Amino acid sequence: MIEVLNFFLNSLVFPGLLFASLVGLLYIGVDRKVTAHMQNRIGPPIWQEYLDFGKLMGKEDITPRAAQSVLFNAAPLIALGAVVTVMLLLPVASPQPALTAVADLIVIIYLLNIPAICLMIGGYSSGGPFGSVGAARHAVQLFGYEFAFIVSIIAVIVRVGSLDISAVVGYQAQRGWILLDWRLVPALIAMFIGAQGKLLRVPFDIPEAESEIVHGPLTEYSGPKLAIWRLVYDIETLVIAGFIVALFLGGPVTHTIGGAQVPGVVDFLIKTFLIVLVTTVVRNIMARLRIDQALKFYWTFGAFLAILSLVFVLVVP
Amino acid sequence: MTFVLPVGPQHPSLKEPEFFRFEVKGEEIVDVDIRLGYAHRGIEEAFSRRNYKHNVYLAERICGICNVVHSTTYCQTIEQLAGIEPPERAKYIRTIIMELERIHSHLLWLGVAAHQIGFDTLFMLAWRDREEVMDMRELISGGRVHSATNTIGGVRRNVKLEHIPEMLRRLDKLEKSTGYYADLWGSDRTILARCSKVGVLSKDDAVKFCAVGPVARASNLKLDIRRNDPYGTYEALSFDVVTESEGDVWARGTVRLREILESIRIVRQALHELPSGPLRVPVELKIPPNETLERTEAPRGELVYYARSNGTETPERIRVRTPTYGNFASMKSMFIGGTVAEIPIVMWSIDPCFGCNDRATILDARTGKVSVVNFKQLKRWRR
Amino acid sequence: MPRILPKVLQNLFRKPFTVKYPYVKRELPKGYRGRPAIDREKCIRCWLCIRACPDRAISIDRGTKTPSIWLGRCTFCGECAEVCPTKAIIMTEEFEYTTLYNVT
Repeated sequence: MIEVLNFFLNSLVFPGLLFASLVGLLYIGVDRKVTAHMQNRIGPPIWQEYLDFGKLMGKEDITPRAAQSVLFNAAPLIALGAVVTVMLLLPVASPQPALTAVADLIVIIYLLNIPAICLMIGGYSSGGPFGSVGAARHAVQLFGYEFAFIVSIIAVIVRVGSLDISAVVGYQAQRGWILLDWRLVPALIAMFIGAQGKLLRVPFDIPEAESEIVHGPLTEYSGPKLAIWRLVYDIETLVIAGFIVALFLGGPVTHTIGGAQVPGVVDFLIKTFLIVLVTTVVRNIMARLRIDQALKFYWTFGAFLAILSLVFVLVVP
Repeated sequence: MTFVLPVGPQHPSLKEPEFFRFEVKGEEIVDVDIRLGYAHRGIEEAFSRRNYKHNVYLAERICGICNVVHSTTYCQTIEQLAGIEPPERAKYIRTIIMELERIHSHLLWLGVAAHQIGFDTLFMLAWRDREEVMDMRELISGGRVHSATNTIGGVRRNVKLEHIPEMLRRLDKLEKSTGYYADLWGSDRTILARCSKVGVLSKDDAVKFCAVGPVARASNLKLDIRRNDPYGTYEALSFDVVTESEGDVWARGTVRLREILESIRIVRQALHELPSGPLRVPVELKIPPNETLERTEAPRGELVYYARSNGTETPERIRVRTPTYGNFASMKSMFIGGTVAEIPIVMWSIDPCFGCNDRATILDARTGKVSVVNFKQLKRWRR
Repeated sequence: MPRILPKVLQNLFRKPFTVKYPYVKRELPKGYRGRPAIDREKCIRCWLCIRACPDRAISIDRGTKTPSIWLGRCTFCGECAEVCPTKAIIMTEEFEYTTLYNVT
């Protein structure tokens, strides 16, 4: 009984839906504010994303006749389910994830792809040319970033010698952050490049390039469904930042400052925030690449860095 | 198999309504069909229903961004028609405001071009510095966009002596930031990746399709009405005609950015050499039957005004050929062979102004028949 | 390394260029052409303004027998203020015309 209650508490409140959406929306709000200041503007207040979400939720839901299908309606919900599940599998408050001994890194890699696939399904089923073009571009981009992303994860796995994410965090607690290991620095950079593509941020916001194909797969979405897509996107930002923190920055660590215990979640929030800031800076200093250029970049630079790291880990003791 | 990608009449990469029908094979463009006329406002007809003086304000409203060059060209046309010579000081003030307009138009272009390739930071920064020009125009003409300075036979507002130091200060600031943007435009890797070797218009094609303005100059065609057929005070001022040889989007951007620097030079010279004297000469509005053609260099290229008078206070016919119209023909050769991702930036690279462009003729795209629409038909369609 | 990076980081610590408009107002330059205003006392009923107006925005008010300006057509060119012999029409520096109700 307690277990079932605990499961619901975990998935709906902490670190599941409620916590993830509150933090995710706040992070994107901060991202927008920082972006504005980088562009010498005032920008929206940092809680703007909550207001946007609330407003979209209250809007009328208009579904075009060509898009009325189960797939179109279910895509945002499945994506939301996937990202919230990843949240449960990440070490947020302590080195142990909320759901222990259920899944390993492979499952997380799979789950992280589900939002992208749902986005494609939503785009293809929306029945508009912009949706299909956006979905096609997303498919191409997926094959680009995924290789660099996965190979850099494999490099970490080989270094630690375990597929379990809590083992990765435990390893770093004993031997220091993986970030500080020079053999894995190229993997971290490749990971960031992959994350930039996964989060559809400049220079890899090709699938939803607004001046080219309106809003890509999301063109036909409106009202609550669009709100859920935004929520998915915002939680995905937090999840990917959390994933990088767990793999490279030692995960959540409980500090003791002046006798008082600072819970691990504070450490987690600070580290993820720093990673979100890095992606914000990157998205503000570049122009969007074309899809062929992005693919070339991933398969040369990104893949090269990841493989370099893997070779270092395998060869250099 | 090709499929059709409609761009317009409503599309985020178009700031005004116009319809482009792209035939796409995967991501590659194989054909493009341009259909004009969505922003038709019947302005040429309206010209012949007002008197010469009221038409100045109508000419100004053909285009918002390049309003001064429209009203200046109109005034020059009518002055030529009536045989009036405006005073020297008026000519200098016109030059100052026209060049300020060129600066702000090109900075606006830079901002939107940066937005089209997803570089929003450059977009915001370019438009921030554009405010300097807008403030200058507000200072000397009293309006941020529509200056309402020109009138037939001179100008209505003076550039006051106390404004000159303020303007020179702002010009210095602008020169610094424009230099920075020109540097950035030429060196940023992502900008080069998106703009260089994209939408290439060769020199032969530029001649064949009668490209005008910065588009022609980026294809190494030394074509500038300010130099080829000087009007106003341009003969007395020294400036370079900027050309680039690549003919791609990057070259068009570079030409515009370097032209801003030239314009700043022109404004400085004009402010220093501003002669004293009257602002306007009295005019008699009953112009005897006559006809004339006048051309100027608008920010987007060659602007042509044709006017015919019939002895009354209203013109019989005014015809306007805007630079965007001259550049449409070359658009097709820029697009074909490119990819969908290039559409916005290539389209923007000619700096299209559809509000300027759409006036009287309608080209039926299916039959290729050209028909001129009269007022009655338009009224019927409106319903 | 992207060339704009130093500028972007520098901007983080600069005062934003934009202002919170309805709360903070920019100072307008002298001679800004805003909404035209009519001083009905000074009007000598010469109707030069009606002739000068390019938009036919000025008409005669039947009640007071003075000109009245329809702001929906006015383009703020300032021709009426220029021709008025007694300076009864002036261009104010007011630029906020939004109303809460429909005035026709």
